Amino acid sequence: MFLSHMFSRRGFLRSSLLGATMLGALASAAPALAQTNALYGPVAENPTMGGRLNMGLLVEPPGLDPFHQAADARIRVTVLMYQGLFYESPTGEAAPLLAESYTVSDDGLVYTIKLREGVVFHTGQPMTAKDVAYSYNYIRNAENGSPGAGDFSVVSDIVVKDDYTVEIKLSEPNASMPMTLGNKYGAIIPAGYFDDENAKNRMNSQSVGTGPFKLVEFAPNSHVILDKNADYWEKGMPYLDGIDFSILPNSASMLIALKNNRVDLVPLSRPQDVQQIEGVEGLTIERWPSLGQTAIDLGAETAPLDNVLVRQAISLATDKKEMMQASIGDFGTVLGTVPAGLQEKWGLPLDQVPMQGPDVEAAKAKLAEAGMADGFTLTLTTINGYDWMDPAAVTLREQLAKIGVTLDIQRVDLGVWIKNFRSKQMGLTFNDWATQPDPNLLFYRHFHMQPKGADFRNWNNAEASALLDDARASSNAEERAEIYTKFQKILAETVPTIMLFSPDHITVRRERVNNYSQHPTGWYYGLARTYLSE
Amino acid sequence: MSASLVKRLFASLLTALLASMLVFLLMRSVPGDVVSQMMGQAGGDTAENALRQFFGLDQPVYMQYFNWLLQVLQGDLGTSWTRGVPVTEMVGKAFLVTLEIGVITLLVATLVGVPLGIIAAINEGKPLDTLIQSFNILGLSAPVFWTGLMLLVGVSSVLSWSPPLRFVPPSQSLSTNLEILVLPILSLGLLQAAAYSQFVRQNVVSAMHQEYVRTAIAKGVPVRLVFFKHILRNVLIPIVTFMGLILIQILGGVVIIESLFALPGLGRLLLSAIETRDYPVVQGALLIVVATAMVVNLAVDLTYRMIDPRVRES
Amino acid sequence: MNQSTIRSAPGLLVESARRMVRREPGLALGLAILAAIVAVALFPQLFTSASPFDIDVAASMLPPSADHWFGTDDVGRDIYARVIFGTRITLSICAGSLFLSAIAGGTLGLVSGFFGGWTDQVLGRFVDVLLSFPPIILGIIITGILGPQTINLILALSIVYMPVFFRIARAGAMSEIGKTYVEAARSMGINEPTILRRHVTRNVMPLILTQYMILFPLILQIQAALGFLGLGVQPPTPDWGAILEQGKDFILFAPWMSLFPGLAVLLASLSLMLVGRALQKRVDSR
Repeated sequence: MFLSHMFSRRGFLRSSLLGATMLGALASAAPALAQTNALYGPVAENPTMGGRLNMGLLVEPPGLDPFHQAADARIRVTVLMYQGLFYESPTGEAAPLLAESYTVSDDGLVYTIKLREGVVFHTGQPMTAKDVAYSYNYIRNAENGSPGAGDFSVVSDIVVKDDYTVEIKLSEPNASMPMTLGNKYGAIIPAGYFDDENAKNRMNSQSVGTGPFKLVEFAPNSHVILDKNADYWEKGMPYLDGIDFSILPNSASMLIALKNNRVDLVPLSRPQDVQQIEGVEGLTIERWPSLGQTAIDLGAETAPLDNVLVRQAISLATDKKEMMQASIGDFGTVLGTVPAGLQEKWGLPLDQVPMQGPDVEAAKAKLAEAGMADGFTLTLTTINGYDWMDPAAVTLREQLAKIGVTLDIQRVDLGVWIKNFRSKQMGLTFNDWATQPDPNLLFYRHFHMQPKGADFRNWNNAEASALLDDARASSNAEERAEIYTKFQKILAETVPTIMLFSPDHITVRRERVNNYSQHPTGWYYGLARTYLSE
Repeated sequence: MSASLVKRLFASLLTALLASMLVFLLMRSVPGDVVSQMMGQAGGDTAENALRQFFGLDQPVYMQYFNWLLQVLQGDLGTSWTRGVPVTEMVGKAFLVTLEIGVITLLVATLVGVPLGIIAAINEGKPLDTLIQSFNILGLSAPVFWTGLMLLVGVSSVLSWSPPLRFVPPSQSLSTNLEILVLPILSLGLLQAAAYSQFVRQNVVSAMHQEYVRTAIAKGVPVRLVFFKHILRNVLIPIVTFMGLILIQILGGVVIIESLFALPGLGRLLLSAIETRDYPVVQGALLIVVATAMVVNLAVDLTYRMIDPRVRES
Repeated sequence: MNQSTIRSAPGLLVESARRMVRREPGLALGLAILAAIVAVALFPQLFTSASPFDIDVAASMLPPSADHWFGTDDVGRDIYARVIFGTRITLSICAGSLFLSAIAGGTLGLVSGFFGGWTDQVLGRFVDVLLSFPPIILGIIITGILGPQTINLILALSIVYMPVFFRIARAGAMSEIGKTYVEAARSMGINEPTILRRHVTRNVMPLILTQYMILFPLILQIQAALGFLGLGVQPPTPDWGAILEQGKDFILFAPWMSLFPGLAVLLASLSLMLVGRALQKRVDSR
């Protein structure tokens, strides 16, 4: 469920499942492929130890508290300092991280997790089962105010068996439990940490996780400095002595800094930026697959979007490919009903997705059937700061004009947008969100009827909700896939959302940066395996 | 301290109070707060309410304001809702950056603008005057951020150089600090020098047209003597007053320059705090801005009194 | 009526224009540029046949050429057309906001100066509050907090310089109030609002108008700056500040996206400033 967050201001770019490299470079693509399941990315063969990496960021983390801050910009950085029990491997499996192994009871209700020994917090204390129980009990108690609390609502109890064993008991089976115990919300921190009133605040000046890097300084609008965790439990890791993140206000500053050797590695926000530095000597541009998606959401709370025929007409009139071309060129993948990173394993095959455009005649027919052949005016909400939305909005306006729908474009601030979204008053809007590599975490919260889901789009579809429940309870991967296929057909047929495209993640690095791989979530896991040559 | 000064000080405090109230109300009148941002597309009502309670956002607005005011009166601006750092510390650090840029820019503007203005005035109507006036009017017409952008690109492509990224205070490394600030100060200084030069020229010209100055020159008093004895003395007051005005102008201009050049000053802090709905930081930053403007005005007033005894009497 | 004024009107115009160029070249230049800009604002379609909205992805980020004088932007729109069509939007927002500010500030100032007492105290305090922020910061607070919509932009721009009009009108009203004609009107039994409307307003009007011209380039700068910060007019509406905002991210590869709208702001400011200065000189010398 926590499908969350945006805050990916300025889109992210993405591509094929294999992380195709664009401008040659990264000749090591093949071995990287073989090891994509390795924690954090491939282990380097002959790494040079030491050195500090300068990374430029366009979006500043609004805070560094993994428990109370849902913004993606926060997660991208905190995964380097904090760890959960499992790691979200790009192929979709939950790989043991602070867990060493686990077993599930036959009824799927009890997860017995064996913990890794010899793990030490940044504070110096060793990690044991009571810390794990404390951390997950803290996050699942909604009174503590974590945005992730909802994901743990199926957890009924956490029992410390011995120092290195915990039992997590569920009220109903949940196939994506291990993925939920990952790194998006919460982490294992020392037991009792939040007892101190100032603990929440302290997370912005001092890290208390178990991750490969420790927080040194977080200066607003300026920089975040991380140092290597010398007591890190993975032997010989990380390679770097530290990471200096510089916060830059716009991509122009970033590109200029990149050209003039002020930063080593940057994630780029838009394909147009690639054009600007293509061919600059000493820079390597790489494309990576993404779990992010851009979408048109259609809230059914008001007319005419409450009419399924109208929503279908809009879906049929939409030319996803043209919208992608206009906003990010070829640096992405057009979607059906799941983000690109999930398509192969979970997606409804693209040629079987109903209501796909552009089919102006079919769209007009739908409108006529709805008694709205003369067209009408709709307001499309876009969010200030998301670059892809402007060209996409103009393109969509042209597309909808062909079926007589006039589009008013209204740009709002993120805060206002979130408020509308959460109060289920979104109308017709663009959305930009990312998921972990799991279909339950992608769909459940967004599309299940209330009260179990949030059903932000007022879709209120009982059949689809039943399918989501079935899929979540199923422990058989094949059966799950089949149920999700049925679900996606309903999703595409009744159009609460139109998933448009997944923009590639694009990174640019200087030659001295080696072995960085970009995780499809957009989080900077890869820095734990990066080294600097020279 | 005279009674009028006390009265002014009191009026200033009242103004600051009203200003803070205005900002407080404005911020709370729009949808979306820090909690909904922290929750994003996740989270549930219980968690949301718990956090809102934590920040005191569940209380009525007048209580929130009253609590804040009480805190401020004790010298505590509160804690940032997103950073968990004391606002005083955050705003203080950012203010130092802005102040440094402001003061150096003022220095540059004065050193360039005043002589230019005087030269133009002395050569009134001659080609040199036209040239300087053209510079003034061009400098005033060019948008500050645009000049900055063009400078950044120009320097980067011609010299293959761009300022270091991470801001360093002068106490740590003066040379790196200046390296970072040279372009922002140049783009701001150009505008303010033009404004200053324009103003000085106007004042000197009108002083030169005064009856007694003409008489003195007609009587054969050397022009240079007249200039230093009469004219300069007369234009000193407006020049000082204008310095204050310029400093306040710079304070405004810095906001835009900071977001262009990635400087962690007050303006960028204000913008990002508005964006993340971090109310205590917005309040604190604006309080500093307002206070600075007031102090500058007061300082101008005092200098005024010192230079011109007549003001003291009235 | 003497002989010389009966001469043909066009001849007279040419004559006086010639005189102006000779005596006040700055004003002449300012008026010429301003006239051109106003013409562009009124009849943009005379100056370009291209659309400021039409997207042509295949023709994105083209440098200036014979087809696209100012080049194209990231989605292939013609920058020249956007700057041309943006003229009306940018200038009318500035002119309109400043007009609102003159009306509101002027009226409040007149009332405050004329009636004095508590009215003056309360209004004066309110204006002091607005004056305690540097203008651009006031603009940022209003548009930043209320959100980037044209209506909020206009609100912000009208508030920013309202205190200036307030002060001028107030001072004007106060200085007029002691004059004999007001006393005379009073003694004739004309009620106060009428005096205010008929007499004081008429005498304060020229001051307000001059100030309007002086502030116009300043409000244009603020409008552009807010646009640049993403707080101004929203895409796809062509507005100079908005084009600059979009252009800044492509500054390395496509500097023309920022260069030309910036030049447009510069030219407009320049002409307004030249005209405003000349106007002020005349008022001052009177």
